[in-house]
Amino acid sequence: MSSSTDWHVDLLEIAQKCVYCGYCSLCPTFKELKWETYQPRGILEQIRMYFSEGIKEDEKVEVSKTLFEAIFACTMCKACENICLVDLPLLKVWEQVRQEAFKKGRWSPLLLSLYNKVKTTQNIYGLPAEERLAWAGLAGLNMSKRTKKKASIAYFVGCQASYSGKMGNVAPSVVKILRKTRVNFTILGLDEWCCGSPIFLAGGYSVGKTFAKHNHDKLKELGVKRIVTACSGCYRAFKIGYPRVLGDKWDIEVLHITELADELIKKGKLKLKHAIKEKITFKDPCELVRHCGLVEAPREVIKQIPNVRFEELPSNKHDALCCGGGGLLKLNDSDLVSQVNSHLISEIEYSEAEIVANGCPTCKDTILAGVKKNGLNVEVLDISELIVRAMEGEQ
Amino acid sequence: MTLKKTTRTRFTRYLSKNFRDDYTTLQIYSRDMSDLPKVVKLFVGNLPDGVIQVRNTEDMQKIYEIANETRVPITQRGGGTAGFGGCVPYKKGVVVDTKGLESHFLVDPLELTVTTSPSIVFSDLQRQLNLEGFSLCSYPSSFHSATVGGWIAHGGYGIGSIQYGGANEQITALEVVLPNGERKRYTEFDDISLFVGSHGTLGTITEVVLKIKFDIPLKHQGCTFDSPSEMLKGLEQLSKINPFSIWFLNPDHVTSFNEVFGYNLPKSYVAIVSKEVSFEEEEKEFKNLFNNAIRASGGQILDRRYIKDIWDFRFKGFSLLGECTDYLVTEVILPVETSEKFFRKIISKFKGELHLEGEMISPTHYSLLIYLLFEEKLSEIKKTILNLKLYKITTKKSRAKGFPYSTGLWFSGYYSSIYGKEQYKRYQEFKRKVDPKNISNPGKVISPRIKFFPLVRLKAIVKIASRLII
Repeated sequence: MSSSTDWHVDLLEIAQKCVYCGYCSLCPTFKELKWETYQPRGILEQIRMYFSEGIKEDEKVEVSKTLFEAIFACTMCKACENICLVDLPLLKVWEQVRQEAFKKGRWSPLLLSLYNKVKTTQNIYGLPAEERLAWAGLAGLNMSKRTKKKASIAYFVGCQASYSGKMGNVAPSVVKILRKTRVNFTILGLDEWCCGSPIFLAGGYSVGKTFAKHNHDKLKELGVKRIVTACSGCYRAFKIGYPRVLGDKWDIEVLHITELADELIKKGKLKLKHAIKEKITFKDPCELVRHCGLVEAPREVIKQIPNVRFEELPSNKHDALCCGGGGLLKLNDSDLVSQVNSHLISEIEYSEAEIVANGCPTCKDTILAGVKKNGLNVEVLDISELIVRAMEGEQ
Repeated sequence: MTLKKTTRTRFTRYLSKNFRDDYTTLQIYSRDMSDLPKVVKLFVGNLPDGVIQVRNTEDMQKIYEIANETRVPITQRGGGTAGFGGCVPYKKGVVVDTKGLESHFLVDPLELTVTTSPSIVFSDLQRQLNLEGFSLCSYPSSFHSATVGGWIAHGGYGIGSIQYGGANEQITALEVVLPNGERKRYTEFDDISLFVGSHGTLGTITEVVLKIKFDIPLKHQGCTFDSPSEMLKGLEQLSKINPFSIWFLNPDHVTSFNEVFGYNLPKSYVAIVSKEVSFEEEEKEFKNLFNNAIRASGGQILDRRYIKDIWDFRFKGFSLLGECTDYLVTEVILPVETSEKFFRKIISKFKGELHLEGEMISPTHYSLLIYLLFEEKLSEIKKTILNLKLYKITTKKSRAKGFPYSTGLWFSGYYSSIYGKEQYKRYQEFKRKVDPKNISNPGKVISPRIKFFPLVRLKAIVKIASRLII
């Protein structure tokens, strides 16, 4: 069993290790806000001040104002940690400072509201648990035989695909892929709780553990060995959050839908027969590529589409731009999300792609908003929707 | 100096949220890459009274207008990634953060120039240029964090300078707001050269036109040398083959490199030579010329497998600092011909890990980044002594004939050593004309007078201390 020491870091020690090279100036929100108080090295300097022994109480209050403001302007894209020359574990630092803000009662009302919603209703929308399977009914799918059935593979639907109308096609697409390839799978149905991702992003590993434990126990009851998800937030929670809070107990293999699809294609079970004539690009979600290192699977899958015209975005793979929607920023500053997103939209426009595929509901939602705002004639699809299109032909 | 209420009101009225003077912001803007030792802080007003995000030329004109009327010093700041103290206030006042300047990006494919904002970071500019098939001519090793404006203010050199020169040779036009509020556009070399290395003391750059080149692929070759003298001979020979870059490391640096990549490179001086190559014949020719140069200087050819990784490491020198508890860094420019003694001296003077990273910036000179790494946390006193020791080595007139990379605060008073007496005269005349009240980045370039001891200048104090303490 893991202990809190596994994910807690000495904030002051890390802040003092910063060599002030400024490479973290690539931070997408710092690029918009420009003040060095938002730059990761500036945040570390504030942490150094905040936790230093000699600081006076009134100075500490002053520092906390800018520090907590900066920490919630972060999209948790991990670009800073990836470029950090001295390998500082910055994500852990940001999460922990968010918890410090919570302890000091400095979360924004919207964030607190989300936190309470997740805690009480076990989903990010605060909607009743009974509606968790509404997506299946709306898509005309009967999931009763699949729900809580004993199987080695589980499809974890996630809050956004379960409840959000905008993501209405994601879960049915995943189910179509799994059914077509005759994968014996199960879903948790009404027993599924939020993966805990928003809580982990807010640094709430103790509370997040309750969610991890619940989902883990339910999955174990069904004999699940592998879990597949189409949501990069859930994927990150399973890959990084759960092992941190559950330790060795978490022994379920985690797959993104693209990894499973790639595997099924290689085994000859999934055949993408239908050509897609539109030019396709793929936006790497930060949580897949930088947090979890998933780079090739989505590209391998897209390459299998007959006569595919695939074009990488100018910033791709580990250098992919953040869509702006991550890290709970949408709750704190939606204008900033749109500013950050504008750079990604410019790259999409530059690529002249007609379809933007991605593997994250948050990215999809943010890109959709940006595409609409800029009047681009671009279709935004989850990669599972793209796979189904190539599998079944134009819908 | 603390801002008078009326002055503060004038700034806030004009700039609104783009003026800040909260405790944290002031602290953040009171340092650059190297924080000042506590003892030095007693004599330096490094904590500003306010910080401004300048948005455009009109803002800058207004800021100078207020500053002139109220005699509030202005200190410009780009990326804040150098360690010369150029963007650190000396007499408090207001820090003008240029990162907020409106961004421009306009490529002229016929003239091969790009018009851009000084606030742009090199890696961003290079990415945008690459998308259009062009490339920067040269860029600093702090590629991912340095702004174009900050680079110019420091008298920038970098990778590619041996072929294309430094900032002086690459700027075709500069738009500047002078301290007297005048907005000027300079296109003549003599005028532009005044602003290169002047740390904003002559005005604030608001637009830059840089030369660019086609994005021609680079081919790399590597070699090793057993001693500094062999390496210097090699640098001389290699400079003749018209390379894009010659970048070299000392044996301690190579050891770290081995540790990072698990390589087994010989503990010797390693140089990576890069050249723009468009055709196969050119590549063959480069290889021949390179082999001949190495043969003539007594070096050995480096195994090809290592070259790409070493070349990719050129922006990551600072990663070494994560491995040690404390460190000191400085940069100096040296002539190839006479610098052997410098190498011997620096190796003998400092015990412990000494890492050197050099880049040829012209066929005759190279810039040398010096890292001193320590296992233990240095006390304030020890750090100050070592800093002075480094200062002495960097500034003392010796047979090496080297000079500091830039003036900033720490090497203020060394402008003429870097740019020549004639240029210094022109600089002084221009400064007197455009900034009679000395409000534009005071304390930089020209050595400032010391707080509490106004008869003494900073250069004299540091110089004497560096000689006496040792």
